[in-house]
Amino acid sequence: MAANFQHPFQCFRFVPRPNTNLLIGSAGSKLYSYSAETGERLAVWPQEVASTNANAVDADSGSEQGPPGKKRKVSASETQTNEKPAWSNIPILTTTTNGEYIVALTAEDKCVRVFQLQEDGSFTQLSERAMPKRPSAITLTSDDTTILCGDKFGDVYSLPLIPSDKLPVITKALRSATLSHPAATNLTVHTKGNRRALEQQLRLASQGKKDEKAPGPAFEHTILLGHVSLLTDMAYVSLPVDANKKRSYILTADRDEHIRVSRGPPHAHVIENYCLGHTAFISQLCVPHWAPEYLVSGGGDNYLLVWKWAEGRILQKVSLVDESSQATEVAVHGIWATSLGDLRVILVALHGSSRLQCFTLEADGTLKAQSPIQLSGNALALTPIEKDNTILVSVDTIRQPDTTQEWRASASSPSTLIEAFHIKSTTDTLEWEPATASVTKKINSTGTDEVPATTEEKQRKELNDSLYNLGHLRKRKGEDE
Amino acid sequence: MSQPPPKRQKRAEYRKQVAEAVGDESAPVGKVKLPKKKFYRQRAHANPFSDHQLNYPLSPAHMDWASHFPAFVNPDPAQTNLIGTRKLLKDVEVVDIGCGFGGLLVGLAGLLPETLMVGMEIRVAVLDYLTTRIQALRMQQQHQQKTQSQSQSQPPSSTSTPAPAPTTPAADDAETPSDAPAPPDPNTSTALVPGGYQNISAIRSNTMKFFPNFFNKHQLSKIFICFPDPHFKARKHKARIISETLNAEYAYALRPGGLLYTITDVEEYHHWILRHFRDETAVEGGENEGPTVKELFERVSEEELEKDECVQVMREATEEGKKVTRNNGNKYVAVFRRKQDPEWA
Repeated sequence: MAANFQHPFQCFRFVPRPNTNLLIGSAGSKLYSYSAETGERLAVWPQEVASTNANAVDADSGSEQGPPGKKRKVSASETQTNEKPAWSNIPILTTTTNGEYIVALTAEDKCVRVFQLQEDGSFTQLSERAMPKRPSAITLTSDDTTILCGDKFGDVYSLPLIPSDKLPVITKALRSATLSHPAATNLTVHTKGNRRALEQQLRLASQGKKDEKAPGPAFEHTILLGHVSLLTDMAYVSLPVDANKKRSYILTADRDEHIRVSRGPPHAHVIENYCLGHTAFISQLCVPHWAPEYLVSGGGDNYLLVWKWAEGRILQKVSLVDESSQATEVAVHGIWATSLGDLRVILVALHGSSRLQCFTLEADGTLKAQSPIQLSGNALALTPIEKDNTILVSVDTIRQPDTTQEWRASASSPSTLIEAFHIKSTTDTLEWEPATASVTKKINSTGTDEVPATTEEKQRKELNDSLYNLGHLRKRKGEDE
Repeated sequence: MSQPPPKRQKRAEYRKQVAEAVGDESAPVGKVKLPKKKFYRQRAHANPFSDHQLNYPLSPAHMDWASHFPAFVNPDPAQTNLIGTRKLLKDVEVVDIGCGFGGLLVGLAGLLPETLMVGMEIRVAVLDYLTTRIQALRMQQQHQQKTQSQSQSQPPSSTSTPAPAPTTPAADDAETPSDAPAPPDPNTSTALVPGGYQNISAIRSNTMKFFPNFFNKHQLSKIFICFPDPHFKARKHKARIISETLNAEYAYALRPGGLLYTITDVEEYHHWILRHFRDETAVEGGENEGPTVKELFERVSEEELEKDECVQVMREATEEGKKVTRNNGNKYVAVFRRKQDPEWA
């Protein structure tokens, strides 16, 4: 009998902490935490045992107020005890700089969940807030007090990390201002059919029937900015102006090739400039924290762009494909920046590719290609451990390398969920060697949740799409008036 | 089955014919007729969220303005933009968002003969009409100018503004031009219009998505939003062209001191507009939610509007404005001035 597969880590992060460093990851519908020293698994959320979790404080804020017209409502008890949670994957996972709090997005119920990461690695959920539209990018402001959440309708909201007790004022939702009577009148509607519709509406209004229009979410939230497009990624950056002054910015990218540079809150409605240069959707923005004046962006184009983003100026266009294989469509899955030793490294993974492309960011802001890293499966997530000159890469254990749909014939045991690479003694050129760390060995042997090797085609496709969904962003040619 | 319906075929043939007639520089002036709207009808609504087959420049520096404003092309052929087309002597400064059949542009053309103005429209057929209309108007004006300069030794200085395209052949305006059947529309009469309609043009675009692809920061001095699609249903309000998030983009393109003109016949939409910009008269109690995009605009006073000729054009010359007058509807005007950006926090 074939061994079962393991859910790969969709997100994976090294969390430096004052006492013990941790590793956290999301695989399937669960969150996992590990000791960064030993690789021993410390906690899983939601807990497998069906006991009620006493830790869930304030778990219901917002969940009662589901968005209009959606059928699924998740109550706190359900999420803790049911065997099957209301979501199938956790696509976004981020932490505060001190590693104390974790912000995670559960996909199907659109909930932004804040956890406190305990000393023993366990997760305490502090709040869950159901957003009106599916969030597609979540980041924290540099003071770690505010969550910025961008959604597939192009809007960016700010939410306090820890919701305050005071009830929010709902009246500020300008957009959803409800009317007691129709806005059209006899003066604006002229055709026979429309007149009849208007009469009908007036009759309904006089009977006191109101549209069942749910107000916005019942928690504190402020709309900061919006694109008329699907928002794909976001970055919050602070640039020093002089010795003791900083200016903060929000960078937002969308499906319609725009990168917008806005001022940070509370002036996010002031657009400083646009970075225009992509010809397909943008999926990734990467601003290195050690060189915040630069931006590396990528998406459906077969190149990266390096920007001096505050000026909207392109510094370099970096090809991602060999000259020979120009024909294939590529999409950028992830861009990561890390400084290892003296080297400033940019790592790039293409969607459904087992090759990790490596670049170094030179002093003039250009990228220099270095030898790539070959993985045993598609790269999904990456986290650097800068003090060890090491990177940990989450690898897709289910799909064949370099495909997004074909499953492997059989699962290897133990699955290689995480691979570690160590930088070779810092020479001028960047070279990697596999690190045989006990940490990764331990994580891999412990495994995550199992995916049966007998999974049916339809469910396989669903699982594939939850990890590899960038294809939907590409515009189809043809349909028009 | 594959035969197109006769109506559509007739339209297509008509449009082709007119486009050819207008493109033919050597046609005698009597032949240059304005296109008829009935052959360019299209559903009044377009979904701004779908991917239309749109052509839009990568960035403002990639926009080919020279083909839109041939009379304003920089004479130095070395002056080109990033896609190698010629630069203009000046930038486009006025935009009509959702220009429809172009009544506003045609009305403004003579009023601001030295200002480049562009209309943006998402519906293909309507844009076709307007492009053909502008071409025809330009042709008529060129013929007019020639006959005038022949009859008078000196053309009046006000009309001699940008030189018409030099390609016009001088030979064949022997036919009587001025007694060609005068169309009823005063804008299309044979009178000479300052600028000869060389300063207006139209582009097909979805401004809700691609406005920043066309215009640089603070490039514009006026934006017009005339009789926007009201999207009556609350569920459709996201599709309105005025929203707190889109207003930030208008503020980006408008220079400080620039004006944003709005007119609508729907009272509720008028209040919506006022709510989304600044309205000093309706300050609601306890509004201390922090700065919003409203801080970038201030409403222009009624007295000032009375002196503004553009407001008059907006009320009377737009097609929609005429329709509202015909139906005895109300017109609600609100104009907002772009303020300076706030200081960095």
